[in-house]
Amino acid sequence: MRKSKMEPPVRQANNRVTRRQFLKGSMGTAAALTIVPRHVLGGAGQTPPSETVGAALIGCGGRGPGTFSDLNREHKLNVTMLAQCDVRFRDRADNKTIYTDFRRVLERKDIEVVAIATPPHWHALISIAAMEAGKDVLCEKPMTRFIAEGRAVVEAQRRYKRIFQIGTYGRFGASQSRANIETHKIMKSGLLKPCKAVYINRGGFKVKEWSGKVNLRPEPVPSNLDWDMYVGPSPMKPYNPHRTGGTHRCYWDYEGGGLSDMGQHFFDPFQWIYAKDDTSPVEIEAYAPPAHPEACGMWGWVEMKYADGFTLVLDSGEWGQPYSRQEPRGVSMGDLDEKSRRSVASMPDPEPLVGFGEAVKTRKRPGGHAEAAHRCATLLHLANIAIRTGRKIRYDPVKEQIIGDEEANRLVNQPMRAPWHL
Amino acid sequence: MGNTSVSVAEFVSKLPDPDENGLLSSIDKESVENIIAEIHKAGRDGIVGLIDMLVEPGKADDVKPRYALHCLALYVCKLNDKKHRRAFAEILASQLDRGQPFDRLRAGSKQIKGYLIRQLQVAGGKEVAGAMGKFLLDEELCEYAAQALVAIGGGAAEQLRDALPKSTGKCRLTVIQNLGVVRDRKSVDALKQALGDEDRDIRLAAAWGLANIGDAGSVDVLLKAADVENPYERIKAAQACLLLAENLVAAGRLVPSPAEGTAREEWDAINLEADPSPALGAGIYAHLRDTRTDPAEQYLREVAESALAAKE
Repeated sequence: MRKSKMEPPVRQANNRVTRRQFLKGSMGTAAALTIVPRHVLGGAGQTPPSETVGAALIGCGGRGPGTFSDLNREHKLNVTMLAQCDVRFRDRADNKTIYTDFRRVLERKDIEVVAIATPPHWHALISIAAMEAGKDVLCEKPMTRFIAEGRAVVEAQRRYKRIFQIGTYGRFGASQSRANIETHKIMKSGLLKPCKAVYINRGGFKVKEWSGKVNLRPEPVPSNLDWDMYVGPSPMKPYNPHRTGGTHRCYWDYEGGGLSDMGQHFFDPFQWIYAKDDTSPVEIEAYAPPAHPEACGMWGWVEMKYADGFTLVLDSGEWGQPYSRQEPRGVSMGDLDEKSRRSVASMPDPEPLVGFGEAVKTRKRPGGHAEAAHRCATLLHLANIAIRTGRKIRYDPVKEQIIGDEEANRLVNQPMRAPWHL
Repeated sequence: MGNTSVSVAEFVSKLPDPDENGLLSSIDKESVENIIAEIHKAGRDGIVGLIDMLVEPGKADDVKPRYALHCLALYVCKLNDKKHRRAFAEILASQLDRGQPFDRLRAGSKQIKGYLIRQLQVAGGKEVAGAMGKFLLDEELCEYAAQALVAIGGGAAEQLRDALPKSTGKCRLTVIQNLGVVRDRKSVDALKQALGDEDRDIRLAAAWGLANIGDAGSVDVLLKAADVENPYERIKAAQACLLLAENLVAAGRLVPSPAEGTAREEWDAINLEADPSPALGAGIYAHLRDTRTDPAEQYLREVAESALAAKE
């Protein structure tokens, strides 16, 4: 049996690979192999108009400009920005290049790709609407605010056959490691039953940094902000600046604290390595104090078990006692019997992941596709549901519903404010 | 009651204070859970005592009773005996109707009622549907009421249906959309009527609702809606058509698709005899295939062609 160097099944906060490193380690390689740059086709120094891609940025604060510039710099798409849309542009919107209403952007026939970097409570609805309008989508993380949104994005992507890529790229780098490929194949084979592996993600969740204020007071809405449009599908609440401008992360109405904000980075590579892109945990238990109704707050750890026995642990290290139920335990060929080892060894390596730029040009499925992104976001949402309800929950990964807990299920599919709906 | 109120206030005062940044950073799980259990033991007086401490946002500090009421909602859901949850919900709902002002500063009570409705969304059941239905015609509270009703599910359709004829403005849009969310077949005629509304959001909500319900009798009206010129409405109505087609096809067995150029009437006549739902669904795809000729709508034509090919 060939021995390979396995990744330890624990991720500490200080060894996180950055977005930039992921991109450099993966997208460039894929592009160099498969894509002829459009400017080459156009001749020296020239880019034929037909070779440029009309694009728009929806949500222009925070990561927005970086997300958009990645379309050219990292995804090699040769995009031209035709429109910018942000609810804070109320006093300067011209509905030609500057918009406050994303629907006006999506009506434009000259826009083929949209980069979405709004607060996350808008991610699903704008992604879906963009695909309904025939656009390809690069959407910032976290993909969604609750589980049903993710399923709706997946259905829209399948219905319209558009390209959807989540704006986190951990799996691109992770999928190039031989050790990870071996783990992926072992898990993908389904031969490891029961799976005794325990993966622990310690720290990095920015729990205190992205916790909400419990004593917000209403303040006047700034003249440049369309507050009704900002709130969008979420419950209408009085304006307070802490609900916007990055600190939106701290409130259940718009995101889900540091767990949601960082989790998609952490678990995007995890999902690929452990072949969990088409399933979700079946039992989720959290150690946390009773949650506040509006402000995301403290939590200690969340333990999630998959149907095959695999355990994923999120240990915040920022509140209460650290997780101590189990130690990290990896996956190796040694866990299999001889027949299963031969079977796994004979499996072909997975296809290299396709970057967003290549996917747009070739219509191949990108590495961070909608289903994978949705299953990753589901981890964050399930963890937060366990934190918010204070109850151990059982989950059906096929029906995507919590079993035997009607009240907890209300957080799986949350009602939206009209006219917005899934 | 007086003594209970004092003791509830004492328990509430023991809940953690926000730190200098407004966070509950030094919160202790066990002590909060014990306090909530004690408040729960006070029964109705405990719940009403908490509600009496609520004030309009920004008027005074009610951080602790707000938090306590939510914790109580979570607590009753956690108990194995459903009667605790139901009792909590019924007491909360009864306070939505009370005559005296909630707010000791006498500044009105809509936002406090809104908070109570949101807690009913957490812990209420069909037993409070009627209490929330009363707010579907209230411009300030109809959204919260509708959200709570559809989250709870049971009894929502009746409340929404009853509210529709009297609703206007934002409430009307909210009611129409949520009739689609709960897939109320008894509202099909009303939704069809709303397709002709002068408000675009109403028209689109009605179209989506009919599609989500999967009403086989709505094919023609939705196809007509999808052929409008306005770009966004055309996109969204086409989405409703595709959703309806999927629902219709899923509702029945698959049938062959019509050849391109086959007269719609001729093809319908052949297929409607057996099982109309999938035939109607395929008819929607055929219509979109034949009408989306603009290059910018090629993707929609391909969706329709692909769906038709899958049935062959």
